[in-house]
Formats: sequence, C-alpha cells, structure tokens
Amino acid sequence: MRSYLSDRMGAALLMAPLLLFLVLAYAWPFLGVVKWSFTLPTPGLGQYEALLTDDLVQSVFIRTLRIAAIVTIVSVCAAYAITVVWVRGTPAQRLIAEFCILVPFWISVLTRAFGWVALLSNRGLINTWLQAIGFISEPLALVRNEFGVIVGMTHFLIPFAVFPLASAMRSLDDRVLLAARGLGSSRMRTFWTVFVPMTRSGIIGSAMIVFVFSLGFFVTPAILGGGRSVMIAELIYLRIFQSPDWGLGAAISVVLVLFVGVLMAVLFRYVKPRQLI
Amino acid sequence: MTNDTRKQAIDSLSAKAGRGEISRRQFTQLAALVLAGTPMLLRSTGAFAQAKELVLVNWGGDAITAYDAAYGQAFTKDTGITVKMDGSGPTEGAISAQFKSGAPTWDLVDVDPFSAITLGAQGALEPIDYNIVDKKKMRPGFGWDYAASTYFFSYIIAYDSEKYGKDAPTGMADFFDVKKFPGKRSLYKWGVSSWEAALLADGIAPASLYPLDLKRAHDKIAAFKENVVAYWGGGAESQSVLLNGEASMAIVWSTRASLIEQDSGGKIKFIWDQGLISPGALAVLKGNPGGKDAAMKFIASAQDPQKQLIMFDKLGQGPANPATDALIPADKKRINPVDPDNMKKQIALDMDWYAKNYGAALDEYTKIISA
Repeated sequence: MRSYLSDRMGAALLMAPLLLFLVLAYAWPFLGVVKWSFTLPTPGLGQYEALLTDDLVQSVFIRTLRIAAIVTIVSVCAAYAITVVWVRGTPAQRLIAEFCILVPFWISVLTRAFGWVALLSNRGLINTWLQAIGFISEPLALVRNEFGVIVGMTHFLIPFAVFPLASAMRSLDDRVLLAARGLGSSRMRTFWTVFVPMTRSGIIGSAMIVFVFSLGFFVTPAILGGGRSVMIAELIYLRIFQSPDWGLGAAISVVLVLFVGVLMAVLFRYVKPRQLI
Repeated sequence: MTNDTRKQAIDSLSAKAGRGEISRRQFTQLAALVLAGTPMLLRSTGAFAQAKELVLVNWGGDAITAYDAAYGQAFTKDTGITVKMDGSGPTEGAISAQFKSGAPTWDLVDVDPFSAITLGAQGALEPIDYNIVDKKKMRPGFGWDYAASTYFFSYIIAYDSEKYGKDAPTGMADFFDVKKFPGKRSLYKWGVSSWEAALLADGIAPASLYPLDLKRAHDKIAAFKENVVAYWGGGAESQSVLLNGEASMAIVWSTRASLIEQDSGGKIKFIWDQGLISPGALAVLKGNPGGKDAAMKFIASAQDPQKQLIMFDKLGQGPANPATDALIPADKKRINPVDPDNMKKQIALDMDWYAKNYGAALDEYTKIISA
C-alpha cells in the first residue's frame, strides 16, 4: 500500500513539469486566442455569427471534413494490412514492414510533399511511364488537386495509424484464433469474424488519431493542392497573416479545437490511452 | 557631450585665449568645432547608446545573405550597430502581432506598402523621418508616410518559348487566351496581380484600372479556372511549375523570372508588357528595441546606389534610387523592372486601393479559386 501511494506521488511529480509546460505553452496563449474571437474587431459574438454565414469558411470546413474522412479510411485500411505483416509475419517480413513504417517518419513533411509533386505531376514519373506504355495519351491530373492532397496526407499518416493497431494486435490472445481454426473456421473467416472484431479498439484509436491529425494539416494541402484545396489550417493562416482578420481566424481556431476536444472525449470513452501506443 | 560639458570646454578655451595660450582665431575655430560636434555626440550618447543592434525582418531565402552583404555589413562598419537578418516573413498579421505584444523584438520590416498604410493607421509603425531618409533618392510617388521604398519587383508573364515558337505573348489578353496560346496557366494564390491581369485581359485600359472592378475580375477568373493548373503561393513554387512543365505560362515575380530563364537554359522566357510593378519598402516598428533614429539611419543608408546595385545583382531587385539605373551594365538592363524601357510597358499597383480593399478581395478570390 505504501509503495503504491509513493509510486503514484512519484509519477505525479515526474509528470508535473510536462503538465506545467503544456499549460504555459499551449493553454495560456490559447486563452488569448479565445479572447480575440470575442473582441476583434468589435466585442461580441459577431465572429461566431460570421462562421455560420460565411460561405468560404463553410466550404473549407466541409472540404476539410471530407478529405479527413477519406484519408482516415484509406490510411487505416493500408495500416491494417501493414500491421498484420509487422506483428504476425516472418522475421524477414517484419523487417520490411518496419522499414516501410519508420523511414517515412524520418523524412520532413516538406520533402515528402515535393517528392509527391515530382512523382505525380504532368511530366512526373507516373504520367511519363503511363504515356510511355501507351496506357494514356494525355497526362492525368494527379496533383495540384484534392487527389494529390489525399495521397500526400495518407502517405504521411499511415505510420501514425500503425501504432494503435499494433498495440491491439499484440494484446490479442493467439489461443482464440487457434480455437476458431480448431472448430473448423477457414482462415478468411477467422480473420473477419474473430481477428478484426477483437482489434476493434485499435481500429477506433487509429481512425481517431488519423482523423484528428488530418484536420490540422497545412503544408501538404498547401503544396499538393495547388491553391485549389484550401483546408482549415490554411484558412486560419490566411485570416491571421494575409487578410489580417484576427477575430474570424481566432473564432475558426476555437471551433476547431472544440471539435477536436469532443472527438478525443468520444475516443477515450471507447479506447484507453495506453492502447494507442 | 552634454550642454554642461560643452559650456565647460568653451569656458576653458576662452580662459586659455585670455591667458594668451591660444590665439583669438584659434579660439573661434576650436569653439566652432566643439559646437558643431555636439549634436552628433549628443546623439551618440542618446539613441546610439541603446541601439547596438537592429533586427531586419525580410522574406527569407537568398534575401537573408543578400541584405546582409548589401546593407547590413556596411551599416555595421559605419555605425557600430550590428544588423541581424530574420527571414520569417513580415506579413501584415505578423507585424500586427509584434506590435500588439507590447514589446516588439523587430526593428525594421521589409513590408508591402499597402500593409504599411494599414498598420500605420493602426499606430503600429513609426512615421518615416524624411529629414533623415532622403525623398529625392526615391522615385516620385513611392515614399509613404510609414514606409520608404527600397526596391521594386514586378508581376510579369513568363512562358514556354519552345511551345509557342516565335509567337510570344504580348500582354494579359494573351495570358487568358488559350486558343491562341494553348496550355495550362499558373496564377498567384494571394490574389495580387490576378485581378489586374483579368481586367486588362477583359479590355480595361491600364489608365482606368483602379479602382478595380472586382466583380468583373472575379467573373473572368472564375471562367478561366479550368485552365489554371496551380495557384502558386511562394517564389520557389512558381519556379517549379514552369520548370517541370506543369504550366506553359505563369504570372511570376520578375525577381524569379530571370532565374527561371537561366535554370531552363532559355526555354522559359518572360515579357515586361503589362507587368504589374510593385514596390518593396522598409518600415520601422513603433517602439522598436533598437531605437527609431538608428532604424531611420539604416533606411537612409539603404538608399545608396552602390548598395542597391548589389541587391540588383544578387536578387534582381529593381533599385528604388533612380541614380542606380546608370550603374547597371547594358546587358543587365533587360532584367531591371524599373529600367525606363521596361517601366513604360508596365503599370504600378495602386497601394491605396490595396490598403482599403485587399482583405475582402482576397477572401472573395480564395472562395472562387478553391470552390
């Protein structure tokens, strides 16, 4: 009992500086943003009213949600396949999977975005190759549009989707799978009716992480979207730095943070934080 | 030297003259020296004592080393004040944030003059001290209450000469004409120049461009959307859309156009016709840490033609001081946006219009291009 208590005290003490840092570096300045949203350019709820009527803000919000949803589905599916190989494959397969997961982690988001431009543009590798084999006559519009944004974001987010899935798959009791097989279930049926449902918490956690991350993307849509796929972070940038219309920019930020907060609350109802790592 | 010490110096001089140690003539000469030297010495113990450093914020990249080579090092040598270059991009919002923080860490900013008009009205900038900054060393019409022009660039058409052969575009009408000049286009993501281009293409005469008919411009831009492959947001991006063949024609900064021409081995060319001239200016933050006087002196020192020539060589910036034009070698005149031959083909952006209308116009533009 004594050691349990002192453990908790020790943990709290170790966590304290981090908590203090988060409050000072994020929460406190964010209160200033909240204040702007109610005071600039004139005090009142005007900026929140504008949010409901401004069609640029609305169309950008809808686009952001749509892109985030598509990116989430694609990333989680791809990550699921990679994670199965990583957790349950042969040693050689695991090595390849680790390589695929970790290498993108070490490359900057900017480099990766420009890499995709080089691959996907009109005279990029993919279009050149497709034209060379006679598959297409005109280059496909693969980048500087929403498609390019989705490809770039998915590529960035797959590693983040892998970890919650890996955690769920590792904590799965193998004997359950053996039991299913022993009772005559086929490999496919075991996978779909036993393995997948039992990793549900990993799927939810992974989807939530990817979705929340997607909402805040800035660089990738700015480069791969070609100005046509403005997402919410870039709209905030535009309002704060280009326009500069701080009140509305702040109001958009507050709504975004609230939205993410609600999502996280929902997530933690279904998934324990430790399952996410 | 304070007034007291000055008085003492003169007293001691007159005592010496009285004792016959120095002649009367020597006395007047020495006294004149003491009196003439005083204002400068006063300044050195006043503003200069607190200002041993100035922070100049520009748009980054090559500008950091170029500003240092042309202006920073020379200013340090002359005054003992170090000039630190910061490339973080002084957008209107960022300057506003510095000012509102109550304790700015920036001194000088490389600012859009229309932002300086807005920020000056908010009280975020020091008025330019035209007793220190020489208005005669600027092109007429390019010095404002809160910003002094130090260079020029221009939004001009760059095009793929291989694709169009001998037919070079001759203005904005050609830019919007995909029948005559087939291929994709690229425009600036933040609107400036796109409105003017659309209206010129729609037949509005350069002289009656301002105030911009935004409705008409936006209709034209909306109808042209499918021909635009990308709206570029920064110089590097504008270079890459042309170099990798995504766009066959683009409106780009003149400072980048000559680089694109070089990098493409002459395949991408540019024209000055209906280019949109834009001044770049320096402004001083209100309550800047390095002191107002030191910052004004820096701006004055940046008016030197030799220094502006370095900026032209390094970044292709058109000089603000017309005296620099004569220093540019004949073979380089072609890439100077304010060379008289080039300038007469172009139109200057109306900074007062931008100060009043930019925010709302950009919102509408963003709505159209991202719809």
